[in-house]
Amino acid sequence: MDGSSGRRRARLALAAGVLLGLAYPIPLQWSGYTYFHTVGFLVLINAMLGVGWNVIGGWAGQFDFGPQVFFAIGAYTAAILFVHVGLSPWLGMLAGVLAAMGICALVTYPLTRLRGHYFAISTVAIWMIAQPIGATWEFINGSRGLFIPMQGAQGVLGATASLQFAGRTKALGYYYVAFGLLGLTLWLLRLVEHSKLGFYFRAIRDDQEGAEGIGIDSRLYKVIARSITAAVFAAGGVLYGFWALAVFPEQVLDLNWSTLPIMATVVGGIGRLWGPVLGAVILIPISQIMSTTLGTGPLAGRGIDLIVYGVIIVLIAALRPTGILSLPWSRWARRLAGRPASGRLVGHG
Amino acid sequence: MTLLLQAIVNGLEMGFLYALVAVGLTIIWGLMEMINFAHGEFLMLGMFGAWWASVAFGLDPLLSIVPVGLAMYALGVLVYRQLMRRVQRGDPFTQIFATVGLLFLLQNSAVAVFTSDYRYLSDTLLTRLSGANVNLLGITIGVPLLIGALLALVLFLALYLLIDRTEFGLALRATAEDREAAMLVGIRPQKMFAVAWGLGAALVAVAGAILANFFAVFPQVGFPFTVLAYAIVALGGFGSILGTLLAALLVGVVQSVTTVYLPPAFKDAFVFASYIVIGLCRPQGLFGRF
Amino acid sequence: MRRVSTVLTAIMCLLLVAALASRTPAASVPEVLIGDVLPLTGNFASLGQQYLWAGQTVEDIINNDYPDLAVPLGPGKGFPGLGGAPAKFIFRDDQSRGDLARTIAEQLITVNRVHWLNGDGTSGNTSIIQPVVESYGIPMSCHPCASPTLTEKGMKWYWRTGPNDRTMVASLFSFLKEWPEHGGPKGLKTVAVFTCDNLFCQDNRKIANELLPRLGFEIVLDLTTKTGATTLASEVQRLQAAKPDILFLVQYPPETSIFQGDAKRAGWTPKVIATSNGAYSDQTWLEAQKKTNGGAGWVGRDPTAIDLVQGRPSWKKVNEIYKTYSRGQTMGELAMREITGLLWMADTINRAKSVEPAALAQAAMDTNTPPEQLIIDYKGIRFNQNHQNELATGVVTQIGWDGEKHTVWPWELAKRANFKILYPNPGWQERDSTPKPAE
Repeated sequence: MDGSSGRRRARLALAAGVLLGLAYPIPLQWSGYTYFHTVGFLVLINAMLGVGWNVIGGWAGQFDFGPQVFFAIGAYTAAILFVHVGLSPWLGMLAGVLAAMGICALVTYPLTRLRGHYFAISTVAIWMIAQPIGATWEFINGSRGLFIPMQGAQGVLGATASLQFAGRTKALGYYYVAFGLLGLTLWLLRLVEHSKLGFYFRAIRDDQEGAEGIGIDSRLYKVIARSITAAVFAAGGVLYGFWALAVFPEQVLDLNWSTLPIMATVVGGIGRLWGPVLGAVILIPISQIMSTTLGTGPLAGRGIDLIVYGVIIVLIAALRPTGILSLPWSRWARRLAGRPASGRLVGHG
Repeated sequence: MTLLLQAIVNGLEMGFLYALVAVGLTIIWGLMEMINFAHGEFLMLGMFGAWWASVAFGLDPLLSIVPVGLAMYALGVLVYRQLMRRVQRGDPFTQIFATVGLLFLLQNSAVAVFTSDYRYLSDTLLTRLSGANVNLLGITIGVPLLIGALLALVLFLALYLLIDRTEFGLALRATAEDREAAMLVGIRPQKMFAVAWGLGAALVAVAGAILANFFAVFPQVGFPFTVLAYAIVALGGFGSILGTLLAALLVGVVQSVTTVYLPPAFKDAFVFASYIVIGLCRPQGLFGRF
Repeated sequence: MRRVSTVLTAIMCLLLVAALASRTPAASVPEVLIGDVLPLTGNFASLGQQYLWAGQTVEDIINNDYPDLAVPLGPGKGFPGLGGAPAKFIFRDDQSRGDLARTIAEQLITVNRVHWLNGDGTSGNTSIIQPVVESYGIPMSCHPCASPTLTEKGMKWYWRTGPNDRTMVASLFSFLKEWPEHGGPKGLKTVAVFTCDNLFCQDNRKIANELLPRLGFEIVLDLTTKTGATTLASEVQRLQAAKPDILFLVQYPPETSIFQGDAKRAGWTPKVIATSNGAYSDQTWLEAQKKTNGGAGWVGRDPTAIDLVQGRPSWKKVNEIYKTYSRGQTMGELAMREITGLLWMADTINRAKSVEPAALAQAAMDTNTPPEQLIIDYKGIRFNQNHQNELATGVVTQIGWDGEKHTVWPWELAKRANFKILYPNPGWQERDSTPKPAE
């Protein structure tokens, strides 16, 4: 057992994951069960948001409960540009990401004077201020929502370019776009993780005074970390807006857009690049299975599925508070590969 | 002028109610620094407890404070012992995860048992007094809210004395500040945390029982109060009981005065904006110790 | 290493086999599947549960024999047009969230293969589902969703039997406009609009702002509050200072009861309180008012002249069935609209004699239901080119001292109801000193 074999195993797992992710919808598309694409879409978009939240939460160690504000900024920017100017949603996504990063930097810089729980509440504060703006601002149509005009069926390229899939491939298209965006996010953030930036973030998390002592401007790097999170959320927001074809302030500013990614991150393993992906893959199917089995029939309307879902979450938290990725996976993988586990190298998290 | 004074008085009266909701949070979050997303659900359970005691046994909410508080103390201890004690081993963020699960569990249990109907209390002492006012120089003060405010004041005073003036309070604060050091002087931190969770849950449930006189009771009622309570505790400063009380009054007044002159939809936004402004000047909240 | 890839290959094969095996051919219809996605938990749960009970009621009416019930599919079991096939409703909870509503809609369409989709009951989430339904091409309806935009986007597969907010606000203010000619007070001119900040309230607010000046009313104050408010004391101060003749109140039940508390403390009542849905449609709020006289004198809009239901035995019978599902709660305004819509759906499926989407759409467009077959006072059901029922109207009612609603408009129904309209809106002392109906 040496490092290169571990890396090879990781690469193999990555390749297998990518293949599985790419191949997953094909048999389902053929049999017409496109619902499973949409579950996949929800998994991917929440995984992507979780990966983004991990930057401020997991790496830089700051409590951030308000990233849904940037989700909304992304969704609105692209939708407005599309509706009023006819700008392509991909350019809209770029604009949304830039707008979210800019606004995030401006707003967050003063807030970084606050630390710990005080900072956490200030992120809630931004969200609370954003809500009535979204609900009453006439330019974005307030609570009455901004509708993205539906377009008819087009070819694969046209649909991808306009981010509007229709007909039988509707769910499939959004699945692959979300898959691509998640891949892009993971790739970019992997670069960040291994760069100086990632090192600074973790230094601030582990010991802010110490980090400042070696010349790291903690406020600046917190702002950078949160802006990266904001960028990912904005991109997710654009995707959501075009998926839903409507942007309502209540929906894009929903607290669920931060709690679900945070939960996925915690389940998977906070601070680990792939943690949120694993968490989303676990949590969302569980909630869908609960809803499909316990949430209907004679018990419909009693919230039984959510009670059981809550119990499952509580159990996971009580039994594995450090996250699923902290389980001794590498030992299991070795055992699966037919080699005896070696006690020294067991990778506990 | 009367308009402004009346708004300030209204704000103070509401502020005391907010203080009631925040008081449980000052212990669990403000003192022990544990995050509880299910705080609003504890409040909701307190409201349902009072409503049920009133409908089933004709018990006035002002009396059902005692059984509701005791039951919720037990629930708080149980939640800590069975769940949060284990969760403490992980990252602080795991507390969010665990208590969101608790939120799902409690809120939907209420849906399952009580349905999502709105419930209203009508023949209780405070609701019967609902038209009664005290007039002072043209300012109207509602008697029921005044009684609610007095109760809040009493609870706060008791809690302040308990935390700041007794040996038990000292042990609690010592645990919050440094668990290892507390253990060295013979304090059992886990017991302290369990008591803190019990007290926190009991206090917010008592708040719920009083609030049930003024507000509709339904499974999703907790959120608007909870989000204000979080702002209040942070505004008052961590670890300061009296800071929480003053912050709650300030929040009540900010809400009520801004609403008189500015768009009411931004009521809570102004509260949070003032949190940011005050926070930028005083990063530890108004009276925070850390 | 090889073992890992073997396992992966095995998983892929399994997935493929499972997908192939479950691809069943469309059978001849043993039962008609109706997907009903509703907000059963979360913020809109109190609405969603009424739609759930409404759905269960209609399923009961279709599948069981009610020989005397004069509504479509009341007598006889199942759909006669489909050889007596029964209806099966699949109720699902979307937690009041748009993304889940859409996901579940997709599940109902592609996995459960429902023949009709109903829901979500709130306009915002319904508009998220609409594009999916358009893509798959199956009929969909949401009857209590009142936002005008839902039928103004040119949807091919969406129908609504209920009136939209424009119709509802118009009937309310038509009453106030025509009232002086029928013995009402003269000089009611100024209006304060007091709404919450979500889609439903803001639709009402916008319509009121367009409509009122045209009818000769003057808006003196237009306040939007946050949904989920904890106090409305300052808002009451502003309303009081603006001295409107009419308060147009669009708030949900919790905020309405907060408003009542704060208005009572301030000792303020306008001459007329006119509401549109919200608390006025909520049975639990109405029942609670009987213990306090809090609702006496309030004017609002209803789908039917509820005090004249003696003339409509079908209403009473349906209400009886509804109560077995609602734990004894009387059918409220929203449930009435939903049940009417779902019975129309059943009638459409029956007339189509098929569950093919095209046949269903044709049958829906051919609808021409006379008012006698309805449980409520629409003038019938007939769709315009936007698939909006152009015969959906309403009545205006007022809560009397008995805590019940009495019809005051349209005038021919009001004449039959023979109720003396309460004016001005009673003050708080009068409410406290008058005997309460529930005591």
